[in-house]
Amino acid sequence: MTDVGAEEAAIGQLREAFTVCVAAGTTGVLQVTGDPGGAILFDRGHVIAVQTSGAPSPEVLLLRSKLVPESEWNAAFAAAAATGAPMSAELISRQLVGAGELEALLLAALADAVFVMASGTVDEYRAEPGLPDCELALEPGAEAAWLVAEASRRIRVLAAETSGHDRWIVAASGAVRPGVMLGGGQDEILALADGRRTARDIAFVLGRGVYATMLQLDRMRQAGLLSTVSSRPVTDADGGERGRGAAGGESDVAPGLPRRRQDRPSALRRPWAQGRASELRPPFSLLRPRSAWDGGGDQAP
Amino acid sequence: MADDKLLAEMQALRERIAGLTGAAVASRDGLIIREDIGDLDPDNMAALTATALAISQRLASEAGQGSLRETLTRNTGGYVAIYAVGTAAVLVLIGDEGLDITRLHRESRAAIDNIEALLT
Repeated sequence: MTDVGAEEAAIGQLREAFTVCVAAGTTGVLQVTGDPGGAILFDRGHVIAVQTSGAPSPEVLLLRSKLVPESEWNAAFAAAAATGAPMSAELISRQLVGAGELEALLLAALADAVFVMASGTVDEYRAEPGLPDCELALEPGAEAAWLVAEASRRIRVLAAETSGHDRWIVAASGAVRPGVMLGGGQDEILALADGRRTARDIAFVLGRGVYATMLQLDRMRQAGLLSTVSSRPVTDADGGERGRGAAGGESDVAPGLPRRRQDRPSALRRPWAQGRASELRPPFSLLRPRSAWDGGGDQAP
Repeated sequence: MADDKLLAEMQALRERIAGLTGAAVASRDGLIIREDIGDLDPDNMAALTATALAISQRLASEAGQGSLRETLTRNTGGYVAIYAVGTAAVLVLIGDEGLDITRLHRESRAAIDNIEALLT
């Protein structure tokens, strides 16, 4: 089962941080330290990009899905770098992706990244003024409140499943049958389900969002095509295997495959999981108020 | 068994670092010692890793920049990081596009020390 307490704390932290950034009309980077953590880029209180190791970036989504060939991407990147034009404009002008299609993809990537960050843990966050270069920024930016609400919805949807997104995915015995194609992307997933990848890892390989991947993995698990490893073998001083940790009976994995600890040891749980979240306040005095940026234009929402 | 502890060390790294998809320890002369790299060819990886380390160390010296800390190759499909382990071995870490580079830097040093201790 997922750690509901820690996830509720993480999304609460993000909601709090987002609320302040929106109210301040932030233009800067919200650095979030945690697991996976990441950086959220704000432009006048709207989210234009998210960088995290937990979810595929727009570039990964475009390249891994083959929507944009690598050679075309490289050419567009070189041209954008030479002219200073945004990468998004270059991709659209070269008709590698439509404007609407790209906007939808960027928004989907933002939602997926915030969902993944909200599903993990937040150690601390800090707002930094100024925007770094961003290859594919959503313009105009997304409503931060919507991103948090959507992340919360996705967490609720996944709350009932037993296979958390930090478990190793394994094809069930007999799921892969020679000459039999299941379709719907299931064959690709079964080919990757070798016990060495998590849902996040599979999402990266396929160039899909983590949330969508998790939903499909859960459906395949319910259909008996996949199982997950939720425990790791405990070895003694001589390297011999003593036994397995607590698990949900999901152990139909060949010996020798890597294991991942499902739950963090209590010693590593963050203080906010124990009720200290309200004591944390980011140094938002570092943020430049929007009125100082544009002479007092539209008010922040 | 030292081999199992080596494997456990590499698996622990994969658990701590998001995006780390494989790891292997090889000798300086390009022979695989222990690997957890999935479908990749361990012998080829071991040979190339040892060679890459040697070249990178030479580059660092030639550039007058002291000793090599890390060789990080960034590719369209991910990253390959190489570290010297003592004087007799080399560690190669393979990651996807979302590899947590910050955590990699933080975790690799302790892992290298642990692996070196296991090999001696």
